[in-house]
Amino acid sequence: MTLREPSQRVSPRARLMWTVETLVQAVVLTVVPVVLVGPMDLFDVPWWAWPLWALVLLSYVAVVPSWRYLVHRWEVTDTAVYTQTGWWTRERRIAPMSRIQTVDHVEGAIARLFGLATVTVTTASAAGALEISGLDKEVARRLVDDLTVKADAVEGDAT
Amino acid sequence: MPRDLGRPDGARVTELARDAEWQRLDSRMLLVHPIRELIRFLPAIIVIALGSAASGGEKWQLIGVGIPVALGVMRYLTTSFRINGGRIELKRGLLNRHVLSTPVDRVRTVDLTSSPIHRVLGLTKVRIGTGTASTSDEDRIDLDGLPLDRARRLRTELLQRSSADDAVAPAAAAPDTPVLTFDPAWLRFAPLTGTGVVIGAAALGAGSQLLQTVGFWEWFDWDSLDAPGLSLAVLIPLLVLALLVVVSALAIVGYAVTNWGFRLTRDRVASTWHLTRGLITTRETTIDDDRLAGANVSEPLGLRLAGGARLSAIVTGLGRGQQGSSVLVPPAPRAVVEEVAGEILDSPEPLSAPLTRHGPRATRRRWTRALVPACVLAAAVASPVALNGPRWLLVGVLAVPVAALLARDRVRSLGHTLVAGYLVARSGSLVRRRRILEIDHVIGWNLRATWFQRRAGLTTLVATTAGGNQAVEVLDVPDDEAIRVAHAALPELVAQFSASG
Repeated sequence: MTLREPSQRVSPRARLMWTVETLVQAVVLTVVPVVLVGPMDLFDVPWWAWPLWALVLLSYVAVVPSWRYLVHRWEVTDTAVYTQTGWWTRERRIAPMSRIQTVDHVEGAIARLFGLATVTVTTASAAGALEISGLDKEVARRLVDDLTVKADAVEGDAT
Repeated sequence: MPRDLGRPDGARVTELARDAEWQRLDSRMLLVHPIRELIRFLPAIIVIALGSAASGGEKWQLIGVGIPVALGVMRYLTTSFRINGGRIELKRGLLNRHVLSTPVDRVRTVDLTSSPIHRVLGLTKVRIGTGTASTSDEDRIDLDGLPLDRARRLRTELLQRSSADDAVAPAAAAPDTPVLTFDPAWLRFAPLTGTGVVIGAAALGAGSQLLQTVGFWEWFDWDSLDAPGLSLAVLIPLLVLALLVVVSALAIVGYAVTNWGFRLTRDRVASTWHLTRGLITTRETTIDDDRLAGANVSEPLGLRLAGGARLSAIVTGLGRGQQGSSVLVPPAPRAVVEEVAGEILDSPEPLSAPLTRHGPRATRRRWTRALVPACVLAAAVASPVALNGPRWLLVGVLAVPVAALLARDRVRSLGHTLVAGYLVARSGSLVRRRRILEIDHVIGWNLRATWFQRRAGLTTLVATTAGGNQAVEVLDVPDDEAIRVAHAALPELVAQFSASG
């Protein structure tokens, strides 16, 4: 027996959003060492380290968003929520509807540029939150409503 | 209105009924607060006293002593609480009025702590635990200062009301069944846990700090330490031995102070567990059986070699921050731990059942993960030695055999099973842990796999829960076995996402 992937993909625009996010990270990861080595002169670095570092960051920006898009999937049934996230580390999370405590809808600054949103479903366990990022704003809205109705239909205090 | 929880004789007013109106804590706290404030302000008071003595003893400066006393009285006068309309409310503060309010049915644990001053006066501090994530002292519901018997009655009634509507009749004449009582022979396990080292390190740190303030190092001269006729080869082992003795002694004292008089009892009528311990400050914890999600047997290497273990509970709503409330057996012989765990879990099987191994791929992963860093380290120290570096660096090569031993042991401890309604997972070497979680308390599954794990066909299966470490991890299980376990535990949940074949 194996676990199949969740049925739904996130919005294709998510790739753009993740590209922007990784670019921001790459810029930070460039500026910090440049400042440390240049003006602050904290340590010496051989010249070839710079192109190597640039290559690493470039491939990070080029590969990770698409990789992430291939992995990120989600599915909601009447009794459970199932997500798959990550890239290097793939994480699948399944939570029964009866254990859902809160449903959050967040539109981050970058996500907003692309009309995307993140839905986070929390359970009573700090290790058990399910996050679906890169959802189309409208899809996310409907998902939140759907989840709220479904989670309400189940009784119990969810612990 | 509060449900009538009257005792069978009916004549006695229940604790909750009495607490329905705003009331102050016990008036004997008027003694406790000033003493405590005095102790806290002691350094300042000494300085003031010395100052006044030096400046010719002007008596008015002794007013300084009055301030802490006044503060204590103020605290007593401004603190009050009531339990009414299904809520516990606590008011305190003079300038910043602080009202804390929580529903009674959120109460998860009730801890009674009595410091020596409390004990002399027959008082105790009641800490009502609601499982809040807040760690601030301000948000704690502490009723500091109730008479011991009143506190105990309050605890029973609170927990009965919170453990839902199962409408258990109040304890008629149900004597607690003792499950475990302290045995001084357990003290021998104290030096084998990490706590001894921690206490020792803290003592060393404090000691050197003190010596520094006194200016000891300024006049101390290493060269004058010409121990007659003792070479370094004798002196160093001697020092190490002395250190070991000191650390062990500290560990034993620490163990005795926290665990002396350890007593675990079970109240079958109210279905709760009571735990009492402490030599100087006594502590009573009560855990509701419904919230007991499982147990955790941990065996640090030293303890394991000596045939010992310790047991803690996984309590719903009690997170990492409140580990103190969840100790079930302090370091003690393994047989004792197994017996108590059997009692707690209503079945001896989770501890004795044979575990399913994780197979050759998980074994290989343990070995590579231990050996690769060790070999890198060995190579890193060996190369400078080859280039005429100091010889003693070669000690680093020892990392390889140590890592090998570690890997072998980690392989041996890896295992999991589903038995008697519990998920059991064991792993670790330096601290081997057997985590036992009731399947009813599993509130979700996480299946995590890195690229390396996926290539090896392994998954880390995580059962999430609302207590303890929030999760129980089954490390590096073969993929199909992970799904099988998840499915066997919660069939309806997993079946809809599984594809056969």
